[in-house]
Amino acid sequence: MCDQPETHTTEVKWQKVLYKRQPFPDNYVDRRFLEELRKNIYARKYQYWAVVFESSVVIQQLCSVCVFVVIWWYMDEGLLAPHWLLGTGLASSLIGYVLFDLIDGGEGRQKSGRTRWADLKSALVFITFTYGFSPVLKTLTESVSTDTIYAMSVFMLLGHLIFFDYGANAAIVSSTLSLNMAIFASVCLASRLPRSLHAFIMVTFAIQIFALWPMLQKKLKARTPRSYVGVTLLFAISAFGGLLSISAVGAILFALLLVSISCLCPFYLIRLQLFKENIHGPWDEAEIKEDLSRFLS
Amino acid sequence: MACRGGGGDAKAPSAPLFLVSPGSFSTCTAHSHNICMVSDFFYPNMGGVESHIYQLSQCLIQRGHKVIIVTHAYGNRKGIRYLTNGLKVYYLPLKVMYNQSTATTLFHSLPLLRYIFVRERVTIVHSHSSFSSMAHDALFHAKTMGLHTVFTDHSLFGFADVSSVLTNKLLTVSLCDTNHIICVSYTSKENTVLRAALNPEIVSVIPNAVDPTDFTPDPFRRHDSITIVVISRLVYRKGTDLLCGIIPELCQKYQNLNFIIGGEGPKRIILEEVRERYQLHDRVHLLGALQHKDVRNVLVQGHIFLNTSLTEAFCMAIVEAASCGLQVVSTKVGGIPEVLPENLIVLCEPSVKSLCEGLEKAIFQLKSGTLPTPENIHSIVKTFYTWRNVAERTEKVYELVLKEDVLPMDKRLDRLISHCGSVTGHIFALLAVFNYLFLIFLRWITPDSTIDIAIDATGPRGAWTHHSPHGEKRGENKKVSKTR
Repeated sequence: MCDQPETHTTEVKWQKVLYKRQPFPDNYVDRRFLEELRKNIYARKYQYWAVVFESSVVIQQLCSVCVFVVIWWYMDEGLLAPHWLLGTGLASSLIGYVLFDLIDGGEGRQKSGRTRWADLKSALVFITFTYGFSPVLKTLTESVSTDTIYAMSVFMLLGHLIFFDYGANAAIVSSTLSLNMAIFASVCLASRLPRSLHAFIMVTFAIQIFALWPMLQKKLKARTPRSYVGVTLLFAISAFGGLLSISAVGAILFALLLVSISCLCPFYLIRLQLFKENIHGPWDEAEIKEDLSRFLS
Repeated sequence: MACRGGGGDAKAPSAPLFLVSPGSFSTCTAHSHNICMVSDFFYPNMGGVESHIYQLSQCLIQRGHKVIIVTHAYGNRKGIRYLTNGLKVYYLPLKVMYNQSTATTLFHSLPLLRYIFVRERVTIVHSHSSFSSMAHDALFHAKTMGLHTVFTDHSLFGFADVSSVLTNKLLTVSLCDTNHIICVSYTSKENTVLRAALNPEIVSVIPNAVDPTDFTPDPFRRHDSITIVVISRLVYRKGTDLLCGIIPELCQKYQNLNFIIGGEGPKRIILEEVRERYQLHDRVHLLGALQHKDVRNVLVQGHIFLNTSLTEAFCMAIVEAASCGLQVVSTKVGGIPEVLPENLIVLCEPSVKSLCEGLEKAIFQLKSGTLPTPENIHSIVKTFYTWRNVAERTEKVYELVLKEDVLPMDKRLDRLISHCGSVTGHIFALLAVFNYLFLIFLRWITPDSTIDIAIDATGPRGAWTHHSPHGEKRGENKKVSKTR
């Protein structure tokens, strides 16, 4: 089968080449079989507290949804005056707006090149339109049964939580879809409130808590991690308190959920890392590591 | 890539295949097998798997075996067709789902495939390509019917993402009770053994081959400038992005350097952008899709062949290029380092920098005249990979397989449950039982004895070699290719 001269000696070494006829059967398994196999070379090492810190993004978003529903419940029951919510919302938005620029010393604003006048214009346009359309929002879902509205809101808020951009690089992440689902939920819920002013204020509040607040959070997290932890704790406690005033059982379940996400899940993730077996070898598709766009620009 | 253009319409009676004298038939008949090749990929589709099946079948026919091919219908091409030397091809009316692969339910193809296996008296079912669901279906049914099974894997697959986790699980199920597996390179064997959790002893390595008479150097090659040839599909996996970095780098450095790029694909647009931006219209020629018969004529216009693939199980293209006498520069990925000896190939890391260095080395060698002549390279390469050799080695696998027993139903179920994990194992064991019941039902509806036995076109009692093809066709009483 082979015509290599060295085959006559007894010590013929197997070579990992195809072009030579070697004196071994085709299904021969050499000692060198799988010697280039590597395991877990790109595996990340996780630190417990770092993972807990990262999980705060999820906590924040859960709390946002909880606070939003609690506020809506208070409005629906007539326990919360719309003017009061409007006032608080506007005040906190202003504080947040100032903070947003203060945290990074106006760096982000310079980079985006957006003027304050543009901000004011968009805010005015939004408020005017929402106010103008709030009677329509109010009557929009009159023909739909209240149960359907509640079910839809629940699904939309769940969808908001699922598709929200928590910083993971995955195909399912879509911040646009996430925000749209939250706003849809808020429109649904707002249409069940007693008056159109309520509806207007509810939708405005939804924008504040689902669109503006995560932006500020992101900046806080990147620039001042310590204060971010403080804000998260405060926010979680207030959401818990708000829920407690409505339903004790709900509040306890919510607290358990928060604790399991921030403490148990990171622990479990780190434990599961022990079982990680990522196989690498010469069969892997090579990655292009350079930036090739420079040749085209 | 390396297929004879004639496969599609059976008009190219592969000249070298006639080299075997008719007398050799009688010597082989003692061990002759009835082999059924199954794959979704066959002519008129073009590619490595297709040509592998065709060439291997032709060589096996030459060695006195009966070979039939089963694939799915391609457009108007359905029913039974005969190719060169009476190679019978069944184009089955199965629905194509994605990328020329048929849909699978694990059951719907049993009636058709059972009928074919019975009427052709098949003893070995040889499936090709892990991307072909029909190949896996055929393995499943063949095992239910108690036939011997062989599988050839032509591709590499990763382990990282969800899709590969799923396909690897299915491959484990499909291969755990297959008699023997063939891979095209040692890297591919390692990959398949890991993916399907196999015993490496039942995996053989048999490389692909090219027809050296198709790829000969051109004695009248021009020497006034240096030409680099690239022939590949222009897709991400073939490293077209790297090519976009290499072209401007080298064209700025060497004034008498040209590129010829053959092939088509979604990444062609970025090559055109590069050509536009660096004003290289007279030096970079984009030829578009090439017919297989033109590949040699394009190859011999160049001095250096560049392969930028990011993953490759075997890479026929570099063997074809070396056979035409070109110096090969290639990325060092997959099975490529096993294919050519070090003096015929420059291996580089998959980066623009490394590939440019490799090309510069090749250019320097070319200019200083230290490279062997194309004729020399051709005479070395032509001994490496021949279809005759592939067929001989595959034949050995068949003989090995026939000595083994096909697992009876109870042992097969045990193997599935113990080997594939408890959940998947139980599900597929249940499906295997259903498949067996379905088979019994089919045997009751149309007993094996009522199925006509097909007249062999090839093999020990092959009609093709004794009678004129026309007489044979009438006896067959089937729809045959009108192109003959």
